[in-house]
Amino acid sequence: MKPFLKINITATVILIICFFGILNLTGLSKPVRNFIYSISAPIQENFWQKGNKVSDFFDFISRSKSLGEENKKLLSDNQELISENTWLKELKKENEMLRQALDIELQKDFKLILAEIISKDISQDFILINKGLKHGILKGRAVVTSQKALCGRIDEVYDDFSKVMLISNPEISFDAKIQSEDKDEVYGVIEGKTNSALYFNLIPQDKEIKKHDIIITTSLGGIFPKGLLVGRIKEIKQDDVQPFQQAEIEPFFSLKDIETLFIITEY
Amino acid sequence: MIRKLAIIIIFFYILALLQTSFLVHFSINGMVPNLILISALLINFFEDPKKKDGILSAFIGGFFLDVFSENIFGLKILILTGTACFIKLMLNKYVRFPFFKKRF
Repeated sequence: MKPFLKINITATVILIICFFGILNLTGLSKPVRNFIYSISAPIQENFWQKGNKVSDFFDFISRSKSLGEENKKLLSDNQELISENTWLKELKKENEMLRQALDIELQKDFKLILAEIISKDISQDFILINKGLKHGILKGRAVVTSQKALCGRIDEVYDDFSKVMLISNPEISFDAKIQSEDKDEVYGVIEGKTNSALYFNLIPQDKEIKKHDIIITTSLGGIFPKGLLVGRIKEIKQDDVQPFQQAEIEPFFSLKDIETLFIITEY
Repeated sequence: MIRKLAIIIIFFYILALLQTSFLVHFSINGMVPNLILISALLINFFEDPKKKDGILSAFIGGFFLDVFSENIFGLKILILTGTACFIKLMLNKYVRFPFFKKRF
């Protein structure tokens, strides 16, 4: 290869790298992305809904054999929940009466903004939603499903769209606890492990945890509001050599089942 | 040339939309096939090593991957274009396919 040509290629590569560097540092890539998302949003929404329907159909076929057993289990779960619900309603009444007696203002509900999922980044745990800066979305806000199951937090805000970092992203970690009626609560840290995998770490060895225990968020760290559902313990990894216990969690949210999400703007 | 460019852009745009919105629902253990990467590599492997359309395809594919992902903008363009250039270089220098006849 001629030396002149070599210098020419090197200069072009350096120029391209500098161009992308400037594009990222000055934030000029944001309008480009926002523009392409605006064009693609209607098609992507359509694709998302169609994909959901087709995958539901195949899910139904593959699960048709175990539907009977699942139905029985759900019925028994439902009865348990009804009895628990009645008990909780009684407690709520009692709580309200006590609050009135003590003149404590009730905690305000969350202020929510509804958003639709448009796409998912296949290499990382990020999703794109159709609400952005114009709709009052800010970076760091928590994103939940209609059942108050935590999905993630807003990571990047464009004019009309936002990117949500899912809780299964390895860059995310937050405090959580096991939901229990006992005073002795079990606290730990949730860490993402990509591909919808979650781990509950830093659980002291002396604390007893069980399979199917429900994990909820705490207000420690101030990342998420307290009481949001995170997931259910799937597998416990206990090692006497390690100072802490670890548990694998099955998240409550599944991208396959949801189309709409809520962004908590105030809590 | 413009027609070819338009076809490549539309092709990779549709692939990007499919893999970010439709195929997400068919993931196996959270993994979704990267259609853009596969297509760009296949084009570069099966195209005549003397032609440069594969490199252009890799650039456009990388652009759409960058737009629909959270990475630094331009990273995937550079990686895909670099890979395409490398494949071309290897095919030109070290590999000879019997079905690409030389024209004298």
